[in-house]
Amino acid sequence: MPAAIRIDGLTKHYTVGFWKPRPYLALDGLTLEVEQGEVFGFLGPNGAGKTTTLKLLMQLIFPTAGRAEILGRPVGDVDVRRRIGYLPEHPYFYDYLTAEELLQYFAGLFGHAPAERRARASRLLDEVGIGAERRLQLRKFSKGMLQRVGIAQALVNDPDVVFFDEPMSGLDPIGRRDIRQLILRLRDRGCTVFFSSHVLSDAEALCSRVAILSGGRLAAEGQLSELLAFSVRGWELVVSDLRDEALEHARRVGVIAGVTPLGQGRFALDLPRDSSPERVLADLTAHGAQLVSLNPLRETLEEYFVRQVAEHPATRGLDQ
Amino acid sequence: MNPSIVLQVAGSVFRESVRDRVLYNLVAFAVLLIAVSFLLGQLTAGQDVKIIKDLGLAAIGTFGLLIAVFIGVGLVWKEVEKRSIYSLLSKPVRRHEFILGKFCGLGLTLVVNVAVMSVAFYLVLGWLAWRETPEVRASWAAPATDPAMLKAVLLITVELLLVTAIALFFSTFSSPFLSVLMTVALWVIGSLSTDLRDLGTVVDAPVAAGLARGLYYILPNFSAFDVKAEVVHGVPVGAGYVALTTVYGAVYLAFVLAAAVAVFARRDFK
Amino acid sequence: MGRTTALLIVCLAVAATGLQAGLDRVGRPGLPDGVTGNILYLRSPGVATRAALSYRSLAADVYWIRTLQHYGRTKLSDEARKPYDLLQPLLDLTTSLDPRFNVAYRFGAIFLAEDPPAGAGRPDQAIALLEKGLVAQPGKWEFAQDIGFVHYWWRHDFDSAARWFQRAADMPDAPNWLAPLAAVTLAQGGSRESARLLWQQVVAEADADWLVSQGEFRLRQLDALDQIAALETLTREYEARRGDPPASWEALVQSGALRGMPLDPDGFPYRLNPYWGTVSLDERSTLNPLPTDAGTRP
Repeated sequence: MPAAIRIDGLTKHYTVGFWKPRPYLALDGLTLEVEQGEVFGFLGPNGAGKTTTLKLLMQLIFPTAGRAEILGRPVGDVDVRRRIGYLPEHPYFYDYLTAEELLQYFAGLFGHAPAERRARASRLLDEVGIGAERRLQLRKFSKGMLQRVGIAQALVNDPDVVFFDEPMSGLDPIGRRDIRQLILRLRDRGCTVFFSSHVLSDAEALCSRVAILSGGRLAAEGQLSELLAFSVRGWELVVSDLRDEALEHARRVGVIAGVTPLGQGRFALDLPRDSSPERVLADLTAHGAQLVSLNPLRETLEEYFVRQVAEHPATRGLDQ
Repeated sequence: MNPSIVLQVAGSVFRESVRDRVLYNLVAFAVLLIAVSFLLGQLTAGQDVKIIKDLGLAAIGTFGLLIAVFIGVGLVWKEVEKRSIYSLLSKPVRRHEFILGKFCGLGLTLVVNVAVMSVAFYLVLGWLAWRETPEVRASWAAPATDPAMLKAVLLITVELLLVTAIALFFSTFSSPFLSVLMTVALWVIGSLSTDLRDLGTVVDAPVAAGLARGLYYILPNFSAFDVKAEVVHGVPVGAGYVALTTVYGAVYLAFVLAAAVAVFARRDFK
Repeated sequence: MGRTTALLIVCLAVAATGLQAGLDRVGRPGLPDGVTGNILYLRSPGVATRAALSYRSLAADVYWIRTLQHYGRTKLSDEARKPYDLLQPLLDLTTSLDPRFNVAYRFGAIFLAEDPPAGAGRPDQAIALLEKGLVAQPGKWEFAQDIGFVHYWWRHDFDSAARWFQRAADMPDAPNWLAPLAAVTLAQGGSRESARLLWQQVVAEADADWLVSQGEFRLRQLDALDQIAALETLTREYEARRGDPPASWEALVQSGALRGMPLDPDGFPYRLNPYWGTVSLDERSTLNPLPTDAGTRP
């Protein structure tokens, strides 16, 4: 079985500046392999080269060097596109079409008969949660609704590999949850999902593996939990109705590094990594405290990137 | 090339132009023609049929030209600018199929447009002829509803398709403003192309004259498509001329489209 | 849109229209009335044909309408002098833009050739215009016939007229009455008989009402000339008998030479000059002024 995606030394130079043209390295020798059936997170801050990579895979731009294959075929092969789906970043479609018509149009491009086009359009719009609005022209759609339509159109051919560029952007929390569930359903069907994000929590909930891109280069790759930078360093426990004796009692059960009052009777407790938060929580609730939230403390993508950039001085403009 | 893909892209262009109310120009055309034919009778010493013919044929060409230029220059540019092309090209659509589909779509819009205008044109002329006595009709250089005018309409259509291809070509790499400028400039130069050829007879500079002659052969010769005056005066326009001009238009059009495909095929969508 | 906005828009539109009308009344500073109407934007037919691109015949129509307006406006103006100064350049532009605009050549030649105040009085320009038409369409016998006509009627050059009628007769599709017309013109050029033949053909062949009525008018003038000649014969005979010309038409009626008051083809009574015995048209008659030379010889 060929790899779902194989990227080998993919490089893209842009020329920027009209009067004083200078090269700009958008992607620098990216090598990556994604197996079929994986949900792969492609992470990095804005401008890291994620969108460039996806556009190279879609042949919307052409590489300066390197090559890429999808399902064992070079990306330039049109037949590859029968088996893939793509959600562009900030998707935008034709103002004058309705959501229904757009999906029927795209379904037609895969050679489906009109009846089948209608059936697919209707099923996919249901799946992404577009209701009666499907008969409205797309220019009346909000950003979040366009995002949903964009996901629907990426799935119009029941693809084996889907590429989502920032699928969560523009969505409210409910929308994010819907898309997360959709990605998991796709995984369960055996579909390979390759999505980019600059938000770590999206990847955390979904991905079997991630790659982290920074400054056009691959910074790290592997399972998120294996990546040292992102392993849990402690916990933040927020409780209400905390009485002093409960706190005293809890201190004996586990280590509490610090207590910060948050107002409205709430307190944030700082627990070190090895302090077994389950036992502290059980003890506190036994003494009448109420759980508000329990969050792992670890480096965020943002912190990680700030550190990366500090460690690797700018490599973007070749003339610098 | 997959003809079904080309057709579907063309269909979407046609649908867009209909929804953009492009075909409203037909109403303007009909109103213009009818209003002018009412007004002219007083003014023109019996020349109203000639003038309606001149005006009708000129208007068919002009409305079409405006559509071809102003929609043609946006065809590709708009898709790239609004990024709708991203999702389209991730489907099994080759770039040349996209270009050909865009061309065929606007071409279809223009053909429908010209056809409807021609029907309205003949209806107005038929009405003018019906109003007049047989003696007056006998005095006209050509019958009011002379089918020979369809030759002019055919050549106008070929011309419009060529203009569309040129606008589309510029649209593949240039902004609409510049594309309009360049398309219109080419059309004007092409309409004056016999002057380019004959420059040698008025200018005493062999290099400039040679250059102008070269341009005459390279640039599209739009004046060749203009047989409006001939058909209005009932001067016979040979089938051979019509056929040769049509072939010239088709070959030039194919050349421009091929150039558009070549430019577009390697373009990065940043 | 609120009511105030709507009201404002209407007010501004009315104000703009009113100001435009005011501007019209004031006129451009430093120019006398009427001068602005006589501007010719383009004088060069070469420039016009290039600027018109593929709209040449439409531009020709526009110039033709301007020609008609210029002709009509000048003809109807109250001024004593009627310059028709734009007639020739307008016709030149029209026929350069559309070299097959036959009506422009033929009507234009008449406008140019007619004596003032009905026309520009420039038969030379009329002939030049028609010759330009013959260059564009060498087989157009009507143009050759019209050139002969201008020579005949306005230049009284009957030899040239006969030559052009013959050229017209020699062209393909020429009607068969042209050859006899050429012969008659050559043999008895300037006779009222050849003039009548000429105008009768115009009335029979003309494809425009305007030209037909023009021909009928000329034929009525010829009738009037015939009648005046006959009446003057009567007055001369009267004078020979009585020693003096008749004092009035009644005197002629009483002598039995006339049956009643003689009326011209327009229905106005002829004027008798009792001193000289000469006869003329009533000044109200539309047949004025009668041609003075061509075709006036019996």
